[in-house]
Amino acid sequence: MLVVDRLARAFGNVAAVRDVSFAVPRGTTFGLLGPNGAGKTTTMRAILGIYAPDAGSVTWDGAPIDLAVRRRFGYLPEERGLYGKMKVKEHVVYFARLHGLGPRDASTRADAWIERLGLDAYAGRACGELSKGNQQKVQLACAVLHAPELLVLDEPFSGLDPVNAATMLACLRDLAAAGTTLVLSSHQMFQIEDACRAFCIVVAGEVRAHGTLAELRAAFPTRTLRVAPDVPAIRAVFAAAGAREPERTGDAELAYELDARTDFTSLLHAAAAAGPLETFERREPSLQAIYLRALGEAAAR
Amino acid sequence: MRDFGIVFRAELVRKIRSRLFWLATAAGMIAIAFLIEAPLFFSSIVQSSASDVILAGPPALVARAKTLMERHKDYRVVATYATLPHRVTPAFLAAHGKAGAAIAIAERGGRLRLDVYPRDLSAFDGAQFRDLVPLNIELGTGLSATRIDRALAIERTIHPIDAKFADTQTAALAHGLAFGMVFVLYLAIIIASQSVMSAVAEEKTSRIAEILVATISPTNLLAGKVFASAVVALVQVGSWLATAAVLVPFAASSPVLASSIAPKAHGPAAIGLDPLLALYFAAFFILGYLQYATTYAAAASLVSRTEDLGIVTTPVIFPVVGAFFVAQYGLVEPNAPIVVACSFVPFLSPFVMFTRVAISSVPAWQPIVALVLDALAVVVCFWAAGRIYRVGMLLYGRLPSPRQILAALRS
Repeated sequence: MLVVDRLARAFGNVAAVRDVSFAVPRGTTFGLLGPNGAGKTTTMRAILGIYAPDAGSVTWDGAPIDLAVRRRFGYLPEERGLYGKMKVKEHVVYFARLHGLGPRDASTRADAWIERLGLDAYAGRACGELSKGNQQKVQLACAVLHAPELLVLDEPFSGLDPVNAATMLACLRDLAAAGTTLVLSSHQMFQIEDACRAFCIVVAGEVRAHGTLAELRAAFPTRTLRVAPDVPAIRAVFAAAGAREPERTGDAELAYELDARTDFTSLLHAAAAAGPLETFERREPSLQAIYLRALGEAAAR
Repeated sequence: MRDFGIVFRAELVRKIRSRLFWLATAAGMIAIAFLIEAPLFFSSIVQSSASDVILAGPPALVARAKTLMERHKDYRVVATYATLPHRVTPAFLAAHGKAGAAIAIAERGGRLRLDVYPRDLSAFDGAQFRDLVPLNIELGTGLSATRIDRALAIERTIHPIDAKFADTQTAALAHGLAFGMVFVLYLAIIIASQSVMSAVAEEKTSRIAEILVATISPTNLLAGKVFASAVVALVQVGSWLATAAVLVPFAASSPVLASSIAPKAHGPAAIGLDPLLALYFAAFFILGYLQYATTYAAAASLVSRTEDLGIVTTPVIFPVVGAFFVAQYGLVEPNAPIVVACSFVPFLSPFVMFTRVAISSVPAWQPIVALVLDALAVVVCFWAAGRIYRVGMLLYGRLPSPRQILAALRS
């Protein structure tokens, strides 16, 4: 299990991370969310042992992160590069060797990943000659070839076209299915919501929300109801229940935001009694909504 | 050690495969061959024409002058005449194998009188006619040629007060050799250190560095790079020195330079490359290179763009240039206090102590102490550079302030 406990790290007078704590059980895919400058990359670098924390600790299975532990991790940073003149297979093998694989094992696994990522035709080509998408595949192969116990991916979908993003997502799912613990950050909410089982929202170096999607939803203070048609009698029912002014989401459809503790069954009965109710749909908050609310709360402070 | 080996091997392969490495090595060999052979070539052209002369005058006097002028192979008399044409023209000289001069020789008032018509005024002066001094004395005093020769030949013995060299020619050769080797040392250190610097800057600007420092220790990463570049530089320097070792004996045995370079010895011994000196060269090169390469690598880790490399390398290039100049002074005054002091200072001693060892008798303990101090400096350089490198490789944007660099060293 990865445990980040009250992590703090400053650069000069700037506190990049003030107080970040979370735990990621083995085999979990964990999403680290936050706006630019929130401290995600610093947190990831601390997990990887690149930065020593000023305060707090990071442990993997109870052990501090040292070189031996680090070697069992994989890392795909947000801004990544390749040795332009090195050949694709050599590049992948080099990183596998740095992660502790023997030359034969590294070569065999490199062949397998190169084939899996559709890079067979480019194995003997210099990395600099590849398209951006194929270069990103090489970078992914370098990060996963040694079958890391923990794979840290900083914005893995950044700059990928839809096809390559789907390839990346499929690979991450396979790795997760194989038991790899994944920690990833992304601004692509729909992809991260789909890929991750638990999340941590970091704003200004502090954790604003943390848990599985179900837990985050449970803690969300409101729910959205889509209601049609838009008739005064039904509007009156929702106004009486404490709903704010609804948003129009269709010709005759409105979205009402209500307190999460509202008795929705009673409300359904009341609305149905008030008029010709056609649509009454309660929507769980999306990760995007949860994220934006956390940001809003942070800004309000 | 395993990580070091992997990085070392990868860096070595990358550098040796690089087209630039082969181009630089070949260009260096060609340049050295040119530097050695070009003077020979040009001097042979100049020598053949400037030393060829036409003599004119009374036959007995001309014959005597011819013997004297050709005795030391300083001149070759290509034609003799009783008189020269009324007007000596370049065409007249060219007609005699591009002779350097036509000389009308005569006796006037018991003295030798020469009228010289040189093709190139700069190539002839009074000193060049010293071969004819015995004839001038003979005409003025009536002494026999044998007695004049005896009178002019002063018996002399040179007693070197420095036991390093047996004679003046060997000492002169050693100075030339020391200058050449210090220059090669300077070039090799600059080239190899900049190669390390470029490699570090490439990794930083292409953002590979972040993955690397997340995987292996920065010190191993730095050491692998630095040592791989050292091996590449040694191969380059070795190929340049081998080129020189092959060509210099040929140059030395050439009739043109034989009298001035190595009249007695030919072959590899002619260049006087003492095995101990070669050993010192290798030791000072490796230690000097490691000091400069680690410093350059640390400096390169601080820049975010390769265009900014100049800003950080300017301060670190001063010691190497300064050391080269002190070494030049050391060639003239190897035991001057400032030279002796500098020969123990890391960063300077690879140049200065090597120069002193090459051209003077230095007590054996001095180069050993200098090497020990250099080795300690290498350890300190690796320690400091590793820390700066670790922090620097992840810093992007503005150059870090000196305070930030000090903080990195303390961290």
